[in-house]
Amino acid sequence: MYYISIKKEDWHRSLEKLLASHDIFVPVKDEYSLDYEPFRLNQAENIAYNTPKPSTPLKNFFLPVRENVTSAGNGGRPRIIIGAPNCDVEALGLLDEIYLDEAFTDPFYRNRRKSTILVSSDCFSVNDHCHCTSYGVKPYTMEGADIALLSEGDYIFLRVISDKGEELVRQLSSVAGVNDPERLLFADQRHRETEALLAERNKGLPGYKETGEIVQKAGDQIWVKYASKCVSCGACTTICPTCSCFLLIDKPDFEKVKQMDACQYPGFERVAGGADALFELPHRFRNRYMCKYVWRPQKFNSLACTGCGRCIEACIGKINKNELFMELT
Amino acid sequence: MILMAGNTYNIYKPLRATLEEVIEESPLIKTFVLIPDEEFVFKTGQFIELAVDGVGEAPFTPSSSPLVTDRLEVTVMKTGYVTGIMHELKPGAVMGIRGPYGRGYPVSEFKGKEVLILGGGCGLAPIRSLLFALEHMKDDLEKVILCYGSKTPADCIYKPLFSRLNSIDKFEAHRTVDITDDDWDGPVGVATKLLDDVKVKIDNSVAVVCGPPIMMKYGTFKLLEMGYRDEQIYLSMEKNMSCGLGKCGHCMMGEFFVCKDGPVFTYNEIKHNPEIWK
Repeated sequence: MYYISIKKEDWHRSLEKLLASHDIFVPVKDEYSLDYEPFRLNQAENIAYNTPKPSTPLKNFFLPVRENVTSAGNGGRPRIIIGAPNCDVEALGLLDEIYLDEAFTDPFYRNRRKSTILVSSDCFSVNDHCHCTSYGVKPYTMEGADIALLSEGDYIFLRVISDKGEELVRQLSSVAGVNDPERLLFADQRHRETEALLAERNKGLPGYKETGEIVQKAGDQIWVKYASKCVSCGACTTICPTCSCFLLIDKPDFEKVKQMDACQYPGFERVAGGADALFELPHRFRNRYMCKYVWRPQKFNSLACTGCGRCIEACIGKINKNELFMELT
Repeated sequence: MILMAGNTYNIYKPLRATLEEVIEESPLIKTFVLIPDEEFVFKTGQFIELAVDGVGEAPFTPSSSPLVTDRLEVTVMKTGYVTGIMHELKPGAVMGIRGPYGRGYPVSEFKGKEVLILGGGCGLAPIRSLLFALEHMKDDLEKVILCYGSKTPADCIYKPLFSRLNSIDKFEAHRTVDITDDDWDGPVGVATKLLDDVKVKIDNSVAVVCGPPIMMKYGTFKLLEMGYRDEQIYLSMEKNMSCGLGKCGHCMMGEFFVCKDGPVFTYNEIKHNPEIWK
């Protein structure tokens, strides 16, 4: 791992050139939200680097909402995705465990992962419900992405993490190595500041493992109480960077369409005979918490919640999972 | 991250199979005899996703012998939308097969033992496949006892199977019905009642349970009462196995993907989860 620096205008010009061979997505902020947009040089000033959380979770680049999984798929054009926060990069860990599982590798997911260069972006600020550090996730990327980006004044600093990242750097013009450690002091400073903000904001919030313990022990009452505001809309799972359940839909000629699904929708576990373990809304509601903090951790090494807080922001019933956990603590 | 590892085929694409024959087993149950386009190898207790073109697919454990690889029999109860349309299919229809999936019965671990099998209703389908496998290795087994219950005498599937089993050395088969009719002179009552009269050396035995959820539950409790240990009881769990690949999440049972970690579990593996009988 090493750092290089590049003038912002050279970085953007290099990206412009790379458009000939790559699709490039960058985080763009408008008056309503921050989200990924295709890169365009004439809108480079609207790119919001080092700002937390685009609205779209990173998973959507690898698991489209709906796709035909029987037609040939080669992953399409190579892509460069710029600006993913580390909570989303960490979330890919679980998706990789599920979709790159050696027994049944999903070829569509694998091709997209292979053809994507991931440039994450260190968070220099936090949003209302960000709580990555509570679950042991850093607000900056040291592994899992190909490059991590830091914007400082007129310069872009790139922390080159993987071989794929190195390959991208070779295609950039006017790149300089960063040999003077003093030039990177700002990075440490920014990291520490963001971590301090997160610690302050999430004081008392139980850690990932402790959350699992309290969720498992929780009686029915708390689920009934919080589920009373839930309308089973599935926004929390749709927006979650680790939720990846899906439905297979049959089409003529044995074609199959894979569509993202959610355990919060009625009938998710219903079998033909009528049995439905998640028939009651409080059971469905609890299922998501058990899955994220108890069951996935028993089976996988990666986190099933990376503390992005999107589910809290997306909930139309204003259900705040962290309030639920604090109530249980 | 290992991007190159794993399979290179498309896990979602079904193999085609031609429907050769449809056998009526009971008013609601039919057996579909399929000829797959390629050799199809499975372990007894594993399941497949069987698709009706353009309609949908559903999980079934083949009821045929795992030793036969050029044809496959699947016994289907008419229960929901997909099975309803399946029951209308005629020989010559082309169906789709994905699989085999999951963990079947660990028959090699049954060597030297007595195998007690408790089955109910359409649960006899996977059991028939298991019985074929056990028959093939009967020299290595002490005894195989089948206790099976159906709602009525007419609902019993594979009727000739019982007399055949009783004619095989080391095998015995018992039947009961919940509701009797004029021609029935056998036992009446739930399948678990048959367990009262079987003679097994429990210490050197394994029990296999497959049937409707209610029977699985009380069958397991009965076996525990008889002295079976948790790890001696094999349960074939029924959930909404949709992808079969340990991904789509519809068959989650606690931490397990039933489609990949099961469908066969020992009671010991799943008893910590109070929701298994739901």
